Amino acid sequence: MNSSFLEVKNISKTFQPGRDVQVAALADITLSFNRGEFVVIHGPSGSGKTTLLNIMGGLDSPTSGDVILDGEKVTGVPEKQLSRLRRDHIGFVFQAYNLIPVLTARENIEYVMQLQGRGRLECTNRTQQVAEKLAIDKLLDKLPNQLSGGQQQRVAVARAVASSPKLILADEPTANLDSKSAAGLMDMMQALNEDEGITIIFSSHDPLVIGKAKHSVLLRDGMVASDEFFG
Amino acid sequence: MFFKIAVRNIRAYKKRSIITVILLACTTALLVFATAYMDGSHERMIRSSVEIYPGYVQITHRDFRDSPSLENLIFDAGQVTAALADLPGIAVLTPRYESFVLFAAGNKAVGGMLTGIDPAKEGRVSRLWESRKQGEYLEETDSALVYMGSELARRLKVGVNDEVAFVGTGADYSFSADTLRVKGIFRTGLFDFDNRAAFVAKSYLDRVMGAENYATHFIVLPARPEEAAELAAAIGERLGPEYEAASWRQTMAGLVQAMRVDTIFGYITLGIIFIVIFFVVMIYTMLAVSARLREIGILRAVGTEPGQVWRMLVMESVLLALVSVVAGGLIGGSLAYYFKLHPIVFSGFEEQFKQYGLAMTDMPTAFAPLVIVRDMALMFVLSVAATLYPIHKVNGYRPIEAMHHV
Ligand SMILES: Nc1ncnc2c1ncn2[C@@H]1O[C@H](COP(=O)(O)OP(=O)(O)O)[C@@H](O)[C@H]1O
Ligand SMILES: [Mg+2]
Repeated sequence: MNSSFLEVKNISKTFQPGRDVQVAALADITLSFNRGEFVVIHGPSGSGKTTLLNIMGGLDSPTSGDVILDGEKVTGVPEKQLSRLRRDHIGFVFQAYNLIPVLTARENIEYVMQLQGRGRLECTNRTQQVAEKLAIDKLLDKLPNQLSGGQQQRVAVARAVASSPKLILADEPTANLDSKSAAGLMDMMQALNEDEGITIIFSSHDPLVIGKAKHSVLLRDGMVASDEFFG
Repeated sequence: MFFKIAVRNIRAYKKRSIITVILLACTTALLVFATAYMDGSHERMIRSSVEIYPGYVQITHRDFRDSPSLENLIFDAGQVTAALADLPGIAVLTPRYESFVLFAAGNKAVGGMLTGIDPAKEGRVSRLWESRKQGEYLEETDSALVYMGSELARRLKVGVNDEVAFVGTGADYSFSADTLRVKGIFRTGLFDFDNRAAFVAKSYLDRVMGAENYATHFIVLPARPEEAAELAAAIGERLGPEYEAASWRQTMAGLVQAMRVDTIFGYITLGIIFIVIFFVVMIYTMLAVSARLREIGILRAVGTEPGQVWRMLVMESVLLALVSVVAGGLIGGSLAYYFKLHPIVFSGFEEQFKQYGLAMTDMPTAFAPLVIVRDMALMFVLSVAATLYPIHKVNGYRPIEAMHHV
């Protein structure tokens, strides 16, 4: 019996964008990840990276197969329960930053913590701690549209980390950043992975970024082409 | 926190918020004002009709209203006056003796109603005295002098100081006739009334008709006209079962009914406007929240429960509705108050109004805070309700669908 931290079992996903059109985005994917890993999922555009991350994070449901996070099923769970699972255990970082536009950086970071019901002081302290690690402590009172892309993405990482999730899923977090910002962000994510022991799975097709991971999954046409460990 | 986001969103989507508030505030103001206008004009119509001649409370023999014959007169007017002398709430009490007669002048003969009145008291319960157009009003001691409606005088082709003969039936069914001199001519504006009514001093008519101390009815002006029904009940109790005291709601049942029908049509019209507004708000909200699907998707993705998103969006519509309804209520209420003090005058519509038996063209609005609050509450419920379906619909999306929806 496999009891690893995150299990992806025989996941398939078929989209039906039109009446008679079917797109098989993922075909029978089985993967397993350990706690505290720093994983990259890479592959050409359209290979199914986003779809896989969404399914692992409970944002999308597979056509068949199961995802089990730390013994808890992520698939086939009602929406309300899934919301709580995401709130308490999963942090997301999206390619398009996806901050809440009407909230300041600080409020964005504190939002999930407040949903979790944490106290005001705890939120403030945790935000300060995380913001310093991501070098955004001077930007906390700015609104998202007052920040550069790199800054917004660091706020998004801070939001994902601050709520102390078991797992962070980052879908091409550096795709919209220049190489310097991208390298900075990856270093910070790596540091968070090491300091806080949070499992981070990110997707990318940038070789420089892919090289930072210690566990690398290559997708091709919705199938696992390779699953390798380094270091 | 949801409250904070709701408020921020209202400010962030300024244009949508302002349009929504303006739309809802205008509708609220319209509702409040339309209600005030309907209630006010109905009140005014009824009051003015009542005050021209029928009176707020009418006392008759208990069978007179069903069968107005000479058997069912009040045969001891003095006793009624005495019995009611110390009843509180009565401002004026005056008897009338009405009789159908045939008027004749020259070669014209016209049927009409000759009524004996106490001129001084009558002047206080009806508009007869104020409606004088030519000549003089009556006096207590006038004998064989008539105060005549303008249309009746026109049909008889008589003016002030001309002679008019009448033929009628006395209280004892005897033939009674006399020649009258026109002392004055009145015009109330109520065509039917001006066309048929003529007045003489009651002391004179009683003599001619053999109706000493008789009356067809008494008219009561209550000290507080709004308590006419209560006063009628008190009078009925005091006088006993021989008599009937009816407030204008009974004597003018036809008009009251007409006003009620008018109110219902008014509400139907408003109802149609509301249905339109309801769907406008709904479609507008649908567009507005759809434009925000991505944002809602983000909220959901990071773990906000559907119920929490629902609460946040409903909070927004509640806030917008609250601001709109309060603003609209203030605007509508101020208008209602202003036009209560400065009635709308429909000059040029006198003729149309008269067709409906209305002898006035100024329409003060009603100003009833409770009614205004009721209308505001109604609008509040309506405007929030209109947003529920769009919110529900948006909440039905899965987070990933919502985020990709642009
Ligand atoms: N909502 C969708 N409807 C239809 N097809 C989709 C949808 N999302 C993704 N796909 C298809 O699924 C495949 C995998 O897409 P995706 O997971 O976005 O790949 P990647 O992130 O690796 O570029 C692609 O062929 C894409 O066109
Ligand atoms: Mg992708």
